[in-house]
Amino acid sequence: MSWVKAVPSSDDVFDEDMDDISLQNKEWKCNMEKRVKDGYIDGVDSGKEVSLQVGFNLGYKEGAVKLKSIGQLKGIVSALRCWCQSQPSRSSVLSPITELLQRIDQHEQDLVEAMRKAQERPPPSVSEVAGDLEDMGVEQSDDRGGSGCCRKDGDSDCCRKDGEGDRCGQDKDMSRSLLISSRSSFQTGESLEQLLQSCMELVTEMGLSEELTFHIQQLRHA
Amino acid sequence: MAVRSSSEDLFDSILMADNRFHIEGYREGFEEGTRQGMIEGRNHGMLHGAKLSAEVCFYHGFALAWKCLLQNSEDVKARKRLKAVESLVGLIQKFPYEDPEYENLQEDMEKVRAKFRQVCSLLNVAADFREYLSGSSGMSF
Repeated sequence: MSWVKAVPSSDDVFDEDMDDISLQNKEWKCNMEKRVKDGYIDGVDSGKEVSLQVGFNLGYKEGAVKLKSIGQLKGIVSALRCWCQSQPSRSSVLSPITELLQRIDQHEQDLVEAMRKAQERPPPSVSEVAGDLEDMGVEQSDDRGGSGCCRKDGDSDCCRKDGEGDRCGQDKDMSRSLLISSRSSFQTGESLEQLLQSCMELVTEMGLSEELTFHIQQLRHA
Repeated sequence: MAVRSSSEDLFDSILMADNRFHIEGYREGFEEGTRQGMIEGRNHGMLHGAKLSAEVCFYHGFALAWKCLLQNSEDVKARKRLKAVESLVGLIQKFPYEDPEYENLQEDMEKVRAKFRQVCSLLNVAADFREYLSGSSGMSF
């Protein structure tokens, strides 16, 4: 039916051949548009084929670098914990070590989670950004337990029903902007620097070797 | 003759236009596909690199710390343990785990894992230790 509607819209109503020509033009245009579209799809496939591996290699290196320091720190503190467990005289430091280990583990998980989110949700086109931000705002209390007003587990429910509590509204905006920045730079609630500092304090408190402190300091620049 | 050649020309030009439009679309698509592939590949690779690196670096930190702890130990088993720990450090230092194109990535990773298990068993820590690998237990290699 669309061609019937198309006819009256033609300017030149006195030209008898016009209908035919315009139809043919339409068909031609339609065919060529299809050709462009087909070409486009083929092009996207070939382009992807060429760049996927390049992108993978690039990302792999980036990801490896990002987890290097936190991975080592986790290994160091795990070793310390094992060591303290085997020495009854060290039992008093066991709980601060375990606590630090949990913080480190959380930090590592946050880093990986941020990457996983980026993978599940490829960077949107500009028009999708607005809606995307809304989604992230709603999900916020799930993926960043350690931030803003949602710190305590019990409170997180009140924040999840977003916008309803006045008290939460402001915090939500703030944590949303935090989330956006975390998305772009993979920064998480607690910084690596804080964790390294806590670890060095523990090592000093335990009177362990300078060499270990040196290794931990090295992680700053890794 | 003239008519025939002109119709041939027309046919050719239709074919050419057909091709031209396809190529035009292809070019545009190729650019977009390259962009998308870079992003998708990068996101995918980042996760892989991060997971492998987290695991290797965990072993590395673990071994380095034990090395420091054992150096001052007077335990009779310390020497043997220290040797195993040092050998794990050496294995990791030689392992270019940050290079996705390294051909023996998987094999070397298995060697490092095996060495780590050996170290754990020498240190008597294997059993209650696993829970702290929670971050890496979900890894798929």
